Amino acid sequence: MSGNIVTLTDNNFDSFIEENPLVLVDCWAPWCKPCHMLAPILEELADELVGKAAIGKLNVDENPGISYRFNISAIPTMLVFKNGVMQEPLVGVRPKEDIKKYLQSKM
Amino acid sequence: MSYDVAIVGMGAAGLQAAISSSRKKARTVVLGRPEDSALYGAEVENYFGVPRTSGKELLRTGMEQAESFGAELRQEDVIEMSKSEGGFKLLSDSGTEIEAKALIVASGIMRKKLNIPGEKELFGKGVSYCASCDCNFYKGKPVAVIGAGSEAAVSAELMTHYASKVYWVAAELDASEGLREKALKAGAELVSSPPKEIGGDDKVSRLTLEDGSELEVNGVFIELGARSTTDMAMDLGVMPTPEGEIKVDKDFSAGVEGVYACGDITGKPWQVAKAAGEGGVAGERAAKYARGL
Repeated sequence: MSGNIVTLTDNNFDSFIEENPLVLVDCWAPWCKPCHMLAPILEELADELVGKAAIGKLNVDENPGISYRFNISAIPTMLVFKNGVMQEPLVGVRPKEDIKKYLQSKM
Repeated sequence: MSYDVAIVGMGAAGLQAAISSSRKKARTVVLGRPEDSALYGAEVENYFGVPRTSGKELLRTGMEQAESFGAELRQEDVIEMSKSEGGFKLLSDSGTEIEAKALIVASGIMRKKLNIPGEKELFGKGVSYCASCDCNFYKGKPVAVIGAGSEAAVSAELMTHYASKVYWVAAELDASEGLREKALKAGAELVSSPPKEIGGDDKVSRLTLEDGSELEVNGVFIELGARSTTDMAMDLGVMPTPEGEIKVDKDFSAGVEGVYACGDITGKPWQVAKAAGEGGVAGERAAKYARGL
């Protein structure tokens, strides 16, 4: 995993959102195959967007609190926060350029 | 049953691959259904040497040709793929187990979307295309699984372990009897009217059917066709693109030793000339690989 991706839990989620002006959180689970398709794309983006957007991963199985709070009903779902405010999430696997453009539109 | 080359998909790419592979003296099997090929319903007028013909006719002739060179055709859907000691193991919906040294994925692009109102708007808010991904979010809630094939049957059965109620919406059942019985025995209720609209404000709350009836559900799982081949290919280490395509090199190798891909699944243009051309190369390369040449 890229050193620029932060592993999030129910405990450190809020501070991660507060500390970073632009955040993408990949909500995933180990048994979800599409999630594995998305993983390498986010690793590349985390490296490319260092200092511009912070990317975290949250295992929904181990962290039901956040999944419940944000009403997640499909994975992968990418939650996006700008200055702590939730933006429209991205659901499902998306091409790298789409995700990048979406994040850039929030910068 | 053991073969040199197993081909998944009975369209232009798969059949051309079978012709090339069996002519190279590789023991070849093709799994799939010609009617699932995009070619089946098409009229063809842009294929070299053939002024105008129906896709059905091309497929029929291609099947005869492949068989005449010794390829075995099995009109069954593959529901599982795994690696085995000697290569690959496939399981079909009729329970057949196939072993092969090389594998060619020529299953085309699956139609995944229903294109009914509410589907796009409520995606991720109760609409899902992956029961095995999202089953856990519907514990104790009523859901509908839409689809007539093997993938829907497997998903309907899976959802009975989570949901409070599973409606299996399928106008004309196409799933194998074994999978169908398993889903129904597990408690899925079969609904035969086609779906018309998915409703709900912020989240899915109902599915309206063509006959005017309404199902109160919190989740709608759309599972069309047989189990997605790209999904199964991931079990072999093949990584599809977000568009569901499989990237190949000039030998049509899919990036995992012994696995080849050809036809619509490798990307556009989705044309019979490209499918057959790629199938020809993939079939030859797979046969050579399997026979250790």
